[in-house]
Amino acid sequence: MSLYSSAVKKPITTVLVYVAIAILGLFSLTRLPIDLYPDIEQNAIMVITSYPGASAADIETNVSRPLENVLNSVSDLKHITSESKENISIISLEFEYGIDIEVATNDVRDKLDMVTTMLPDEVENPMIFKFGMDDIPILILSVTADQSFQALYKILDDKVVNPINRISGVGSVSISGVPEREIQVYCDPYKLEAYNMSIETIAAIIGQENRNTPAGVMDIGSNTYSLRVQGEFTEARQMEDIVIGSVDGKNIYLRDVARVEDRTEERAQETYNNGIVGGMIVVQKQSGGNSVAISNEVIEKLPEIQKDLPSDVKIGIIANTSDNIVNTIDSLEETIAVTFVLVILVVLFFLGRWRATFIIALTIPVSLVGAFIYLLASGNSLNIISLSSLSIAIGMVVDDAIVVLENVTTHIERGSRPKQAAVFATNEVAISVIASTLTMLAVFLPLTMITGMAGVMFKQLGWMVSIIMIVSTACALSLTPMLCSRMLRQNPKRGKIQSAVFRPIEKFLDALDRGYGTMLDWCARHRWAVVGLAVLVFSGSMALSPLVKTEFFPTNDNARVSIDIKMPIGTRMELAKELASRINDRFVEDYPEIIEISYTVGQADADNTYASLSDNGSHIIKFNIRLTSVEERERGLTYICDLMRYDLANYPEIVTYQVMAGGGMGGMGGQSSVDVEIYGYDFAQTDAVAASLRERLSGLESCSEVNISRDEYIPEYHVEFDREKLAMNGLNLGTASTYLRNRINGATASYYREEGEEYDIKVRYAPQFRTSIEDIENIVIYNSLGQGIKLRELGEVVERMTPPTIERKDRERVITVSAVVAQGYALSDLVAASSDILEGMDMPSGISYEIGGSYEDQQDTFGDLIILMALIIVLVFIVMAAQFESLMDPFVIMFSIPFAFTGVVLGLVITGTPLGVMAMIGLIMLMGIVVKNGIVLIDYTRLCRERGMGIIRAVTTAGRSRLRPVLMTTLTTVLGMVPMAAGTGEGSEMWRSMGMTVAWGLSVSTLITLVIVPVVYSIFEGGKIRRKRRRSLKRIAAAAE
Amino acid sequence: MKAVLITCNQAYYEEVVAIMDGLAIRGYTYWDQVRGRGSKSGEPRFGSHAWPEMNIAIISVVDDGSVDGFLDELKKLDSQREALGLRAFVLPVEKAV
Repeated sequence: MSLYSSAVKKPITTVLVYVAIAILGLFSLTRLPIDLYPDIEQNAIMVITSYPGASAADIETNVSRPLENVLNSVSDLKHITSESKENISIISLEFEYGIDIEVATNDVRDKLDMVTTMLPDEVENPMIFKFGMDDIPILILSVTADQSFQALYKILDDKVVNPINRISGVGSVSISGVPEREIQVYCDPYKLEAYNMSIETIAAIIGQENRNTPAGVMDIGSNTYSLRVQGEFTEARQMEDIVIGSVDGKNIYLRDVARVEDRTEERAQETYNNGIVGGMIVVQKQSGGNSVAISNEVIEKLPEIQKDLPSDVKIGIIANTSDNIVNTIDSLEETIAVTFVLVILVVLFFLGRWRATFIIALTIPVSLVGAFIYLLASGNSLNIISLSSLSIAIGMVVDDAIVVLENVTTHIERGSRPKQAAVFATNEVAISVIASTLTMLAVFLPLTMITGMAGVMFKQLGWMVSIIMIVSTACALSLTPMLCSRMLRQNPKRGKIQSAVFRPIEKFLDALDRGYGTMLDWCARHRWAVVGLAVLVFSGSMALSPLVKTEFFPTNDNARVSIDIKMPIGTRMELAKELASRINDRFVEDYPEIIEISYTVGQADADNTYASLSDNGSHIIKFNIRLTSVEERERGLTYICDLMRYDLANYPEIVTYQVMAGGGMGGMGGQSSVDVEIYGYDFAQTDAVAASLRERLSGLESCSEVNISRDEYIPEYHVEFDREKLAMNGLNLGTASTYLRNRINGATASYYREEGEEYDIKVRYAPQFRTSIEDIENIVIYNSLGQGIKLRELGEVVERMTPPTIERKDRERVITVSAVVAQGYALSDLVAASSDILEGMDMPSGISYEIGGSYEDQQDTFGDLIILMALIIVLVFIVMAAQFESLMDPFVIMFSIPFAFTGVVLGLVITGTPLGVMAMIGLIMLMGIVVKNGIVLIDYTRLCRERGMGIIRAVTTAGRSRLRPVLMTTLTTVLGMVPMAAGTGEGSEMWRSMGMTVAWGLSVSTLITLVIVPVVYSIFEGGKIRRKRRRSLKRIAAAAE
Repeated sequence: MKAVLITCNQAYYEEVVAIMDGLAIRGYTYWDQVRGRGSKSGEPRFGSHAWPEMNIAIISVVDDGSVDGFLDELKKLDSQREALGLRAFVLPVEKAV
């Protein structure tokens, strides 16, 4: 018994099976995590090796190069880049997408084991780090405080960080921009010298005085007591009364030579939120956590946390990645709802019957909900890709049901009872329904096999649509016939309103059928003229194709901007702070779109992981800006960024600035850039090339900003000790440099304990005694005999330039010049312009260049996709050839494919949209969608031929009878794409180009297919008949002889 | 005794059986999925790509007296929906076991 006859016979079972699917699907939906993108597997490993005391060049020769040479042989490696800076070498290995990162890590570890023995002795063991999407902070909170600022670190640590940390899924929470408490012992060097004391002695005395010692246990009478000395300071001021020595029988107290301050650490980043000093709390999630759920939970907890805080401490939100995710998903859900309504309207328009429309519409939710089960079972999430797959699929899932319903209706109209009609009519079209689903699978299943970046993205799309198509076909072959048998009536009666609405529509459709039939008749008689015209249209559209711009991914308007500003190296933090506050005020005034603006200045503390991962220094200012959501503002993100760049260019004190649209989250969605990599060993030469390239690129209109990856030489003071003089005074370099460090950086004497927390007690020169080179030269160093020697007698203080970080890529020194694409231009514009510039430049010998960045990714991905498209066309041909058991018919149908390109080119040129990966995917989907119309037409034409009609009559009859189903399925698909193509919500940039490609390609191709396919068919079929006739004539002639 | 051979569209099966039940005709033999073509008009039933529909055949041996009534009913059924097609032929039954 076939599927459809059992479905019709067992309506309860059938309904309940689909109810079960719906329940499971909805259950899965509630369990699905929400994210922006599908899980993108990590494909990068960092190897960090430290070699204390080595310069950048030493690190490069002794650490980075040997490691690179060995690591280069790890399999599936795409690029190997390294940064060699003072003390440390960072090697990043970028692998092909889709590899097993665990295997790669083991490979890397093995290789490292081989080479570590060959490295210099002082080199510490290389550490392996994996950095992925999960390490991007999900939430950045701002903290402002007034009176409590001094104690802010402890308050935040106790009352904010700890509660947040307890939320499950939260990975790490770090505080930045808030200085930690520190007890400072500021000594006066002259007084120290007078009393013959040193920082070291004071530090040692403080260490000895600040002690709690358990002295043991003693028995007194019948009891046992513990004995203890409680010497620890309970207040910082107590330290001032420590006796540090005696002169002439008088005690010298610490207060005589130093002042004790209970304050914060000296060098720290300072963060200002909306102009008020405060701090930032950065929340990262554990790998695999649900960003939206975690950040929601944190935000829910904030009011509770706020209650425990002093009244002047306020917590705000600077960046919440989940906002963007939720908004994007919301706007996609809206798109899906609009699509659903549109599709139903189209079906109603063509069928003119409520019941029939209901039957068709019901297949949509059932098939879509089925896909959620797959998502949950495969551990995926609701994200841009999975939801846009749903939106794509809505227009296509109804196709099968429409075919079935249409045939059932025909049977009923001819007199069959609905129950029998449902079975027999479904039986008749089952094969072609399955075949058309197979052509769709021929498109979408290969999508699951793409490699590289696009593979990660589109694997899910491929599976989702394939599964939805399969469910919809199953639905069309069981649920639809069952519902038809129950709901359709033999002589449906129409109400007055219904007829008033639908009669004109029917008249219009009838006229359309007739008109189309007449046109086909004319075309079939003027075949070559039509073919000539079609060739003209196709070649004309191809002539437009150079106007199509290309890009990788569109810039996503997530309402975030981050800016890095660099002042001349060595600029004091106070100056940077002053500039930052000026820029802050100006931005707030000029950009009413800003909701939250925060900036950070200064050197990050070494134990702040988040801050120390990025560039920091006293001359660097970092801005983090949140704008109103895209729907609420007129100016686009890239436009605002360009304006900001223009503003920043007017500050003469700024050396370089970098404005990152999208908050520099990297990967997809950020602003695209052209990275020119200049390879060459000689620093001076490559610097010169980079500088001149930068100058030329900045002149381009299509370029809004140019950044050079290599920093300038950094000025530093070096103290060069004379080893002979040191030896003569009984000193060595180690002792002398420790003395220097203790006076400037400070010696940690001991820890001050309060309420379970420990704070450093730092002993050093008071700030006013370390402001000039003389102060350094006057430092007194004591030898083992207790003799004090001035530093200037042991060596000299000189100014030196330290070479910057040495970057290497694929084992060659590299300097990257990256140019950001300006508003209104596409990646391809800038690539073309920069290639022209590069060709016009005189490269010194030994220097080569390559264009990387988004362009390289784009080229890789496009290459993959074009191969895939060829594969898909072949597969689609095979499926059709098998269905028709003919090579000619599928070949005729294939004539609709070129016109899909025509439509896409037209659409892209007219709307000025660049061709990106999403549009490419749209183009690939078109390969399967456009042939469906051809299949319907040719299938019926063949049927007419088999029924004995002449070519022209067969073509026109088939055309007239199939026009409505073709228009209907096409309109459902096209209108299904329109909400995507016209979307303006947050994140809609991402799928807009895909929707547009499909809508344009399918519309144009359908219009042309409706004419060209019947015409080409009649040419081929006519040729076949002529050949047959000639052969039989020959045979007759031969027989006659 | 007469044998009535009915060939008709698949969709008629249940209705034909209902008619026989109404006339208290109990015995019949039924072939599912048979192919054929009418002598004058109507679409062929070949179950092929060009003519996808199929027929059924029912043979029922009835008393001579019931034949006319049976044929009348069948005629009525056919005239309601001519596109489906139903034909009945009466054959003599010479012997039976």
